[in-house]
Amino acid sequence: MKDIMVVIKLMMAEKRDILFSILFGVLAGLTSVGLFAMSGYMIAKSALAPPLYIITIMTATLKMFGVAKSVSRYMERYFSHRATFTILSNLRVSFYEKLVPLAPGIFHQYRSGDLLARIVGDVESLQNFFLRVFYPPIVLVIVFLSTIFFTTFYSIYVALTLFIGLILTGFVVPALFALRQRKIDRQVREDRGALSTDVTELLYGFRDLKIYQKLDRKEQHLGQSADLYVNGQEREGIHAVFNQSVHTLVALIISWFVLALGAYLVTEGELAGLFLAMLVMISLTVFENAVPMALLPAHLEESRHAATRLFSVVEGESEEEKSATSSRLSNGKAYSMEMDGVSFAYPGEKRLTLENIQLNIVAGSKTAIVGPSGSGKSTVLQLLLNVYPASLGDIRLDGKQVDSLIQESIWERTNVVLQENHFFFGTIRENLMIAKEGLTDQEMKTALLNVQLDSFSLEDPIFEKGENLSGGEKQRLAIARAMLKSAHVWLLDEPTSSVDAVTEKKLYDQLFEAAKDDTLILVSHRLTGLEAMDQIIVMEKGTVIESGTFDELINKKGYFYEMKQIEKSVFI
Amino acid sequence: MDMLRKWAFEQKTMTAFLFVSSVLTGAMMIGQAYFFVTIVDGVFLKEQSFQDIMPLLWGLLAVMLVRVVLSYLNGRTGVTMASNVKRKVRRMLLEKLTRNPIQTALAGQSGGKVSVMMDAVDEIDSYYSKYIPQVIQTSIVPLMILAVVLYEHVYSGLIMIITAPFIPLFFIIVGMKTKAKSEEQLDKLAAFSGRFLDTLQGLTTLKLFGRAIKQRELIEQSSLDFRDATMTILKIAFISTLMLEFISTLSIGLIALEVGLRLVVFESIDFSTAFFVLVLAPEFYLSLKELGSAFHTGRGSMGAAKKVMDELEETDQPVHWGTDLVVNPSIELRHASFQYGDGFSLKNVNATIPPNTQMAIVGQTGSGKTTLLHLIAGLFDPSEGNVLVNGRPRSDYSETSWFDQLSYISQHPYLFSGTIADNIAIGGAKEVLRADIEAAAKKAGISDLIQSFENGYDTPIGEGGRGLSGGEKQRIALARAFLKQPSIILFDEPTTGLDLKTEHILQQSMAELAKHSTVITVAHRLHTIKNADRILFLRNGEIFASGTHMELLETSVGYREMVLQQRGAAI
Repeated sequence: MKDIMVVIKLMMAEKRDILFSILFGVLAGLTSVGLFAMSGYMIAKSALAPPLYIITIMTATLKMFGVAKSVSRYMERYFSHRATFTILSNLRVSFYEKLVPLAPGIFHQYRSGDLLARIVGDVESLQNFFLRVFYPPIVLVIVFLSTIFFTTFYSIYVALTLFIGLILTGFVVPALFALRQRKIDRQVREDRGALSTDVTELLYGFRDLKIYQKLDRKEQHLGQSADLYVNGQEREGIHAVFNQSVHTLVALIISWFVLALGAYLVTEGELAGLFLAMLVMISLTVFENAVPMALLPAHLEESRHAATRLFSVVEGESEEEKSATSSRLSNGKAYSMEMDGVSFAYPGEKRLTLENIQLNIVAGSKTAIVGPSGSGKSTVLQLLLNVYPASLGDIRLDGKQVDSLIQESIWERTNVVLQENHFFFGTIRENLMIAKEGLTDQEMKTALLNVQLDSFSLEDPIFEKGENLSGGEKQRLAIARAMLKSAHVWLLDEPTSSVDAVTEKKLYDQLFEAAKDDTLILVSHRLTGLEAMDQIIVMEKGTVIESGTFDELINKKGYFYEMKQIEKSVFI
Repeated sequence: MDMLRKWAFEQKTMTAFLFVSSVLTGAMMIGQAYFFVTIVDGVFLKEQSFQDIMPLLWGLLAVMLVRVVLSYLNGRTGVTMASNVKRKVRRMLLEKLTRNPIQTALAGQSGGKVSVMMDAVDEIDSYYSKYIPQVIQTSIVPLMILAVVLYEHVYSGLIMIITAPFIPLFFIIVGMKTKAKSEEQLDKLAAFSGRFLDTLQGLTTLKLFGRAIKQRELIEQSSLDFRDATMTILKIAFISTLMLEFISTLSIGLIALEVGLRLVVFESIDFSTAFFVLVLAPEFYLSLKELGSAFHTGRGSMGAAKKVMDELEETDQPVHWGTDLVVNPSIELRHASFQYGDGFSLKNVNATIPPNTQMAIVGQTGSGKTTLLHLIAGLFDPSEGNVLVNGRPRSDYSETSWFDQLSYISQHPYLFSGTIADNIAIGGAKEVLRADIEAAAKKAGISDLIQSFENGYDTPIGEGGRGLSGGEKQRIALARAFLKQPSIILFDEPTTGLDLKTEHILQQSMAELAKHSTVITVAHRLHTIKNADRILFLRNGEIFASGTHMELLETSVGYREMVLQQRGAAI
């Protein structure tokens, strides 16, 4: 419920539209009640043979009510939907603001793009909260109370009956169904998860399933989970239909009571027969306003779930933000980096990813970190960027403790190329412009030329996640972007793993030229082109097992030497 | 679309029920109006006593009850129909998907298929749960109301007949005018919703370049643009609803005026008839309008249905099997070719692989090595030529006995969600002893690692379980092979990224497995290539040369070049 409160708070920023939605909602409700009341009254009046002008006036009024009803309904829809989409925009922005301080650390936990997609979906599904959960009850209560007030002029008993109807259809029936809805929803969600896992396993693990002859069993299992899921959905659907039917039934029975009661009062002479048709028409119409209440439990449950999931991502983590750290790295020069007895485990993991790492990187030196995949190479870079704090030990940049530095000031002073570099939907120019304020086209074109991408123009489109670029093109574009930033420390994580050997050599030449006087750390899976490095650090299983220059390591005939021998014998 | 309708009418009892219940619903609507009008007329004009109208009141209550029950049954039938179709479609898709998934996986379409199986099938739902019941109801109820009104008071009926066509006509006009526009807007919408995801995914990059805060404004701006674009579409929808309401209000007003005039001025009809007509008229127009909204819902299912259809209509390339048992297999490929789409292909491959051979397949990326391995594995049939086992077509042998003889260790073995023990046991025959699993793990050099986990062999891995590195996964696959002891092992040797220990284990384990089996390796190690009895050198899907390493070095210029190039690149 706490999360829903957050949503409500965000919603309240749109007071004007909310008020208009409620206002026109009430108007639409009242005019439609008025319309049918009027038509009931008119027909009864006609039976008493009134003068023709009365009929004419009443018909005209009827038309007016009709037009007013349709127009208010239109306005209500317009304002409520506009409010909804503005609220969604506020939600997105607020969620983004909360997420920013947590990135990129939080992405380790939620590595799969799936979860991000789900977050986006959760925001979308919250659109039903205002539209179907929040304001309809308010409109309902106002319309009902006004109508009940009106009917008290004719019969207090009819008014009372309507009031009971409001309590039943507006609150009691939806509340009764809300409880069961929650249980069914949870079950269906779980079933869906199970089916999704089965489908994914069948498709991605097909070869192994086939060869190990577990395919039939898997298919059977998948068939069962599919049925389970559909059965759950069927129950959910039938539950919704049942819910709606009970709701309608209660409303109809109340109207029936109004008729019976009215008829009784007429026969007893306590109510003029002229008004009977009107009262029943009022009752039948006013309950139409209660119809959305039948679906409210389902929407409430969905919104509650979406809100909880959404805010659980950003909650609690924000406490980790470090207290007032004000130091910045000094501007415009290459700095040194040291690690002293650093150990590290990813949040929520017991296993140490790094263990007792010693590193000494002199300002202006060139270092390569090599080792098998999973040995902790990239993690070292992440700690140097202060994406995560070390679990143990000291990290110093330019002689300053890393945790006394403002995170942004480190990033400002480094050119980073990650293994996975994101490119945004747009053009090459837009993606390069991110690097630095005020870049000229000429600078960007030169950067493209430097990474052998001069065949691209700055206007060329880039699709989402750079889908229209090959792996090698993305890496080269990322290098170009880093070069344009022109900071004096370089952290490069396997920047050329998808580039062929000849191009790689050219890129390295460019990089080393650009970084001539800078500090540079290159994480590499290949052992070629490392001869000129001041220092090569060899890692395995989270520890540094060797370090030295290329020649030193080769002469030592240790781990690096053996890796080199294997690499020589590997054909790609 | 046609298929969707066909599936609906295949469920004959259900559709028949929908028709019957629609007729009954119509009758109940008319009955409700009748009782209501008679009661009011009774106490208001005829001055009957409450006792006199009691039966009518009970009658009304009964009609209301039946109407609600019918609407419940109607809704329930829709839901059941939808569920039946979804069940059936998932089965059909499942059967289809297991026919050619290797080709799919290689073409990188697996993700899309998951979404068809999950989302597209779900989206079909509203076609059956909402659209079909509504269409049936709307095709019956207004006609019944019209008939009754015509019978009671022919002029009101005529007004209905004249005005009713304006509603569908209006739908058509609005539809034609707005279709192009709303489609254009829909594209924009898709782009907008993608943008937010794009920004979230790129947050790391944005932060590293100090752009995260700036992006906030962009999100806000694009969200508001998104709102405005959505509102443009919605406004069209709202205005068309508004116009429809105007049409129906105007028509009802016309009827009211006509009835009122006759009642008051000409006194040619009585109160109860007039009232009856006036109560029925809104029901008539309401049910016509509802068709419009149902139509809207139904259209949402069309796109999803198309995706499902495209999937079901894709051509199969099933693998054929027979009944014979495989013993001590020797394999021969004779003019075997394979083609899938315009992607990977093999052309006219000839090779003989006697039992216990060590065979290596080498070639550049994209030369068809993995495709050849899959063809040998029996994961698809050649599109031309033959794969012979012990001199007879492989399709003579039973699938079970063939796969009983086979293990496949890929570069990225798939881990199923389950424990480590489960994942290794998948290699063995029916019942596997824990001791055998542990022995296999030991031979694959992974037992130390497993024992270091808190739950040992019962540690959950795969989806939602503990992550294993590439080298660790391959050792699990090795353990599967040790447990199975097959006579043919297909091995896709890793290219890079393994630690030295795994390298040694792989070499030793493969040597161990090779003692009793034919091993066919997509080779990336000179060591493996040198030890092979025979090498197939592939280029562009064809065997460019074959022989031992020494033979090829002498006879094939291309092979020599490749080896030299490798040397050059490595130094």
